[in-house]
Amino acid sequence: MLDFLNALPGAVSQGLIWGIMAIGVYLTYKILDIADLTVDGSFCTGGAMFVVLFSQGVNIWLALLAAVGAGMLAGLVTGLLHTVCGIPAILAGILTQLGLWSVNLAIMSMKANVALNIINPDVLNRLLVSLRFVQDVGNGARPFYQHPIFVVGIFTLVIIGVLYWFFGTELGCSIRATGANQAMARAQGINTRRNQVLGLMISNGLVALSGALLSQYQGFADANMGRGAIVIGLAAVIIGEVIFAKVFHNFGLKLLAVSIGAILYYMVVQLVLSLKLMDSNYLKLLSAVVVAIFLSVPYWKGKYFSKPVKRGGVSRA
Amino acid sequence: MKMRWKAGAALLALTMAVGLAGCGNQSAQQTQSGTQQGDGKTYTVGIVQLTPHEALDQATQGFQDTLKEEFGEQVVFDYQNAANDPATCSTIANGFVSAGVDLIMANASSAVQAAASATGTIPVLGTSVTEYGVALGIENFSGTVGTNVSGTSDLAPLDQQAAMIQEWCPDAKSVGLLFCSAEPNSQYQVDTVQAFLEKLGYTCTQYAFSDSNDMAAVTQTAADNSDVIYVPTDNTVASNASIVDNICRPAKIPVFAGEQGICAGCGVATLSISYYDLGVTTGQMAIKILKGEADISQMPIEYAPQFTKMYNQAICDDLGLTPPEGYTPIPTE
Amino acid sequence: MLKIENIYKTFNAGTVNEKTALNGVSLHLNEGDFVTVIGGNGAGKSTLLNAVAGVWPVDEGSITIGGVDVTRLPEHKRAKYIGRVFQDPMMGTAATMQIEENLALAARRGKGRTLRSGITKAEREEYREMLKILDLGLEDRMTSKVGLLSGGQRQALTLLMASLVKPKLLLLDEHTAALDPKTAAKVLAATETIVQRDHLTTLMITHNMRDAIAHGNRLIMMYEGRVALDISGEEKKKLTVEDLLAKFGQATGSDEADDKLLLG
Repeated sequence: MLDFLNALPGAVSQGLIWGIMAIGVYLTYKILDIADLTVDGSFCTGGAMFVVLFSQGVNIWLALLAAVGAGMLAGLVTGLLHTVCGIPAILAGILTQLGLWSVNLAIMSMKANVALNIINPDVLNRLLVSLRFVQDVGNGARPFYQHPIFVVGIFTLVIIGVLYWFFGTELGCSIRATGANQAMARAQGINTRRNQVLGLMISNGLVALSGALLSQYQGFADANMGRGAIVIGLAAVIIGEVIFAKVFHNFGLKLLAVSIGAILYYMVVQLVLSLKLMDSNYLKLLSAVVVAIFLSVPYWKGKYFSKPVKRGGVSRA
Repeated sequence: MKMRWKAGAALLALTMAVGLAGCGNQSAQQTQSGTQQGDGKTYTVGIVQLTPHEALDQATQGFQDTLKEEFGEQVVFDYQNAANDPATCSTIANGFVSAGVDLIMANASSAVQAAASATGTIPVLGTSVTEYGVALGIENFSGTVGTNVSGTSDLAPLDQQAAMIQEWCPDAKSVGLLFCSAEPNSQYQVDTVQAFLEKLGYTCTQYAFSDSNDMAAVTQTAADNSDVIYVPTDNTVASNASIVDNICRPAKIPVFAGEQGICAGCGVATLSISYYDLGVTTGQMAIKILKGEADISQMPIEYAPQFTKMYNQAICDDLGLTPPEGYTPIPTE
Repeated sequence: MLKIENIYKTFNAGTVNEKTALNGVSLHLNEGDFVTVIGGNGAGKSTLLNAVAGVWPVDEGSITIGGVDVTRLPEHKRAKYIGRVFQDPMMGTAATMQIEENLALAARRGKGRTLRSGITKAEREEYREMLKILDLGLEDRMTSKVGLLSGGQRQALTLLMASLVKPKLLLLDEHTAALDPKTAAKVLAATETIVQRDHLTTLMITHNMRDAIAHGNRLIMMYEGRVALDISGEEKKKLTVEDLLAKFGQATGSDEADDKLLLG
C-alpha cells in the first residue's frame, strides 16, 4: 500500500495528461453528440509529430503546436468524411483512425516507435514534462514548478479556461446548439456541418496535445500508444459525471470533472498494478466493462426503475 | 434516489475491480520497498516486460534464474508485463521507481524507454532490444549509453553473419538485402551488415518493401538481380517467410537469415541466439551492479555469449548445398 | 413576399416507395398575408413548408423570398429570412441549453457567429420583458434548461424565438397539434398577437378547420401535392366548415375526403 501511495504522484501526472484527451472526447461525445473514434489514431499522431520534430531540434512549443495542428487536421478529415461525404460519424472516425495508422508510421519515418534521447541531460532539461521529473522534484533535484502535476495542471486549467470562454461565445453557443438539436440549429441559421467539422477539429487538437505530452512524459512515441484511447476517454467522462453530476453544474467545472475522472482512472490502474490485484492483461477488459456498465446504468434506470407515478398525480404526458 | 443510484454504480465499479482482482491474484510476490543496500541484505528487482511472448519470457527466465543462483532468497522479483500497451510500461516503471527498487530489468524497447524516462538514478538493464541507439534515440551510438542504462542486445553479431555468407558462398558476387522499410531495426541491421559484406568484397543492393502486399514483387526483383539474399531479423518477413521461399527456392537463390524462425521458413543458414542465454548475460550484468562491482554507466551493451550455427536441411537439399563444418540442422517438427 | 413557382418534389424516385409529394405548386404571398393551410394526410402541406425552409432541394421550380431567389440556398442560409415553429415541441429548441441561451441563439439568426459573447447583459433584460408577454412565468426561469419545460411552454418559446429577429416569412407547421386543447388555444392566441404586432407574412398549417377559418386573411387547401382551393378576402371572412367541404368536393371531384379532412 505504501508503494501505491508513493506511486500516486506519477499516476496523477499520467491521469492529468490523459485528462486533456478526455476533455477532447467530452467535446465530441457530450457536446457534439458524436462518438468520434478518430481519437485512437490522432492521439498517436500528436505524440509522433512531437517526438519527430522535437528530436530534430524544433522549439518545444512549436513542436507542441504542430502536434495540435496535426490532430486538428485528422479531425478535419473525419469531419469532411461525415458532413461532405455523408459517411456516418462512427464509420468516418474509424476510417480516419485506420488511415492514421499509416500516416503515423510515415511521420515516424516508417518506424513503429521513436524515442526522445532523454539519456542526454540537455534534451531532458528542455522537456516540459517527464516521468523523471516526478522523482527529481520529490528528492529536491528540481523545483516544484517542474513537477508534471503542476505543469500539466496549468495546461489543463488554461485549456478549461479557453474552452469555457469559447463555448460562451456566439460561435461556441452555435456549436453546442448543433450538438443539442440539429434541426433547431439549422432553423436558427447555424451551419451545422461546419460546426461539426469545427468541433471535431478542436477535439482532436486536444487529443493530439495530450498524445504529445504523454510521449514527452514517457520518452517515446509508439504506433500502438493510442489504442483504446476512446474507451479511456469515455471512462474519464463517465467517472467524472457520476461523481460530480450533483455538485458541478457549471460547464468549466464539468470539464474539470472529466480531468479528475481521468486521474481517478489512472489511480485505479496504478492501484491494480502496484498491489498486483490482477494480471495487467485484464486492464483493457476492466476498462471496457466499467465503461459498458456506466453507459448502461441510465438505460436500466429509465427502463426498470423509473419512479412510480403517485396515485392521483398528474400524468407526465 | 438518483444520488443513491450513482453511489451504487460507483460501488459496483469498485467491487468489480476487487472481484476481478481475486481471479488474477496468482503473482502475489511480496515486494519490499526501500530495502537497505549492502551485504547480506535483500535486493528488490523490478521487471517490466512489454508483453507475454516466448522469446521475452525466456529472457526474463534466464535473468531470474541467474540472480536466484547468486543471491538465493536475498533477491525478490516484482514482475509485471504491460500487455503490449506501451503506455502501461510507464505506469509500471513509475510504480517501481516510487517503490524504490534496487534495479529495473526492462524487457523490449518500450519497456526500456519507459524505465529510462522514469529514473535517472536506479540502474536500468534492458534486454531483447536489437539496437539501443535506435531505441533511445541516441545519434552516433558508441555502444555504451553512459548513464544508469545498459543491457543486452538480441542481435547475432552482424560481422559473424557476413562471415557466414562468405563461408557458404565464397564465389557469389552480389548480395540482395531484403527487408521491410517499416521496421527500424531491420534498416539498422541491413546497413551494418552491408558494410561488413562490402569489406569482404561483395556488391550489395537493398531491396525494401513497405508491407506484406508488395513483398512478393520486391522479393522477385531481388531474386532476379542477386546471387545470394540476406534477410535480417524482420517481423514482416518472419510472418511471410513462405513468400520468400516460393520465389527463391525455384530460382535456386540461397537465402541467409538473421534468426532461426525465418531460416526455418525460407533460409539456408542462420546464426541463432538463445533468449534464455541473453537473460543470463543480463543477469550477470545485474549481479555486478547490485554487488557494487561495476558502474552501470561504464558498461557497454552486451550481446549473447554464444550463438549456434544452424542450417535448413530441406532447402539445402533442394539447392544442392552442403553445410560447412560446425552447422547443425534446424529441428523440424 | 413569397413566390413559389411551379415546384415539384418526388421522394424515393425510381423505387416502389416513389411518392410525388409536390406536384406543381405555385403560390404567391403578399406582404402581411396570414395564410392558413389545410389538407389531408399526405396532401403535401408539410412538404410545402419544408421546401420553402430548404430542408432538401426541390426537383423543379423556384422559390423567392422578398425578391431573393432562395431555391438553391441551403437550409441554414435561408434561415436568415424565415422563422419556424415545428409540430414536435422537441424540435424547435435545444433541450440541454438554457432558456436565455436559446433566445440568444435565435437573436443571432441570419448574422455571423463570431467570438463575441454568446449572450449579453442587455439582452437578458430584453428577453425577460419578452417572456413576460407570454405570461408563462418563464421570465423567472431564464437559466433553466429548456428540457425542463412543458410542450406548450416550449412551443411558446419557439414562437418567440422565430419572431425575435423579424422574419420575412413565418412558417408554422401544425405547431399546436401536439398540445392539449387549452394549451393549444393559448399558443394560438400568442401566435395571433405576435403576427398582428409585427405584421408577419405567415404560412400556418393546421389540422383544425375552425382554426383555419378563424385565423388569417387567406386559406388554401392542398390535395395530392397541389393547391386545390385558394380562398381570400370577403369570401374567406364568411367561410364556414360546410362551405369549405362543399368547395373541396367541387374542386377535387371527391366527396369521400370529408372524414380524412376533419380527422386530419
